[in-house]
Amino acid sequence: MIEAQITVQGLSKTYRVPVRTEGLRASLKSLVKRAYDNVHAVQNVSFSIRSGEIVGLIGPNGAGKTTTLKMLTGLLHPTGGQARVAGFIPWQRKNAYLQRISMVMGNKSQMIWDIPPMDSFRVLGEIYSVPSSLFKQTLEELIELLDMQELLTKPVRNLSMGERMKCELVAGLLYRPVVMFLDEPTLGLDVSMQLRLRRFLAEYNRKSGVTILLTSHYMADVMALCPRVILIHQGKLLYDGELGSLAQKMAPFKLVRITLGAENGSSSRDVSLPPGVEITNRENNLLTLRVGRAEAPAVTAQLLQTLPVADLTVEDPPIEAVIDQVYTEGGV
Amino acid sequence: MNSDFSQPHRVGNLRGGVALVKATWASWVQYRSFFFILAFGWMIQPLIYLLVWTTAAGGKTIGGISRGEFVAYYLVLILVNQITYSQANWTVGDLVRYGQMNRLLIRPLSPFYENLSSEMAGKVVYMIFDLPIVLILALIMRPEMHASLRDLLAFIPALLLAWALRFFWGYWLALLAFWATRADALLALQDSLVFLLAGQVAPVGLLPGLLRTAAEILPFRYMVGFPVEVLTGQVETTGLIMGFAVQAVWLALALTLTALLWRLGLRRYSAVGG
Repeated sequence: MIEAQITVQGLSKTYRVPVRTEGLRASLKSLVKRAYDNVHAVQNVSFSIRSGEIVGLIGPNGAGKTTTLKMLTGLLHPTGGQARVAGFIPWQRKNAYLQRISMVMGNKSQMIWDIPPMDSFRVLGEIYSVPSSLFKQTLEELIELLDMQELLTKPVRNLSMGERMKCELVAGLLYRPVVMFLDEPTLGLDVSMQLRLRRFLAEYNRKSGVTILLTSHYMADVMALCPRVILIHQGKLLYDGELGSLAQKMAPFKLVRITLGAENGSSSRDVSLPPGVEITNRENNLLTLRVGRAEAPAVTAQLLQTLPVADLTVEDPPIEAVIDQVYTEGGV
Repeated sequence: MNSDFSQPHRVGNLRGGVALVKATWASWVQYRSFFFILAFGWMIQPLIYLLVWTTAAGGKTIGGISRGEFVAYYLVLILVNQITYSQANWTVGDLVRYGQMNRLLIRPLSPFYENLSSEMAGKVVYMIFDLPIVLILALIMRPEMHASLRDLLAFIPALLLAWALRFFWGYWLALLAFWATRADALLALQDSLVFLLAGQVAPVGLLPGLLRTAAEILPFRYMVGFPVEVLTGQVETTGLIMGFAVQAVWLALALTLTALLWRLGLRRYSAVGG
């Protein structure tokens, strides 16, 4: 069934932070009269996510990702706008709402440190009022999917980071939430563990139809899991759509790689390029050129005519490069 | 858009709360020896004053209290002090400071249960250590108890109220962590006042004039000293009624402040973030 599971309308959050100035006199003065600055962490953000979608929320540090997640999980009150998740207004923090969502954070734990995970799971089962038959069934499924039978009886403090993240995922899914917020779930994990968790999330999403909103700084997470991304920067929504189209939209250029014929290697040093074409990399007879998206066909044709080309490819710039450009330049 | 923080406590989820208490207990028992050492630390001060006062009394009485009665007073005080001491208060502020509150607020269960469960877990672990020691000391030091049935019966509500008062008085102080980062300095101040005015350094009846009046009015005596005096038969009927009344008034104030600060604190927390 296709329906909006998360709708966000003009969501804004402005923090009022005291201005601290250096020096004794200034700090004494601030005791009497405090100056405040308004920090616009999230500005007029709108989007809608259908049930069962996996969406990546990306942006540089301080872009407003966490603030957005905190508002959607009810931890923060927005200063403007509306949101509805699973039919609830998040910041009313109704028990019925909290039972339908889950927030798994790469750097915070729901587990009780000194006892085995199984005991923590039981407590969470009770806290979320999961009927015992359903609890057993769900737990078995999750343990099977995550292949973690042997972890259940060791104290949490003795587990590795990756093992602990598996436990966090079980803890976050035990009560079968309909919406899951994942904040940097692969933080600090090794490559193969990242891979396994991604596979798990994809499979679980397919099986259960849970809606997932995920933030991550690892583009590999986003590429593997999220057909759709929402890019925010300086609190504003910059892009909402397919990850593949992000490059087209954000980077109005293509990369043309040409390998020059060996017999003409010496003259390739002073190849004459059409206007607007830039050499971004050059290794021996391998050239990488940056060409405007619209000009790409014409330029390619011209290059084939004027240069002794042995091989030629036209590609979109790598997603990391596009993202980096957006992060550092604030959009293109 | 206004929030529904009218029900931030979620005390309704009793089932989850009970499970949390059990698990916390299990996790505390893992660290028995650590908590035994803490319990030993808390026992030292009353033990010192027990020795000071029994030595001072010798074969006579001080303020109408004999050597054996001092022994009884301080042995009961060791237990009452431990039962009413609220370690959980120290962790409330940490939850806010270290961002642990988010983790708790995301659950359909009041974070209050987190504190309550460590409180209950602690009591059990500490008593496992304290009871045998007090029993052995009682065998060696020959305490004199003149507790009537009335005293015994009055002791139980006096102790429960003392615990609740000490817990919630510390709780509202700890909740100031929502506004000030080092609110636990106030908890240290409370501990000092309890030491001075709650009957630890001396039974309140032996304090000099002004200090004694202060002790009888302020809440601290009603957190420790009052139930001890009741069980050791030092409180007359009028004193008993007065004591319960003062205890109830301070407890009502502590509960009101706790509820109010919780609500305002969460509102602030959800406005500025953790």
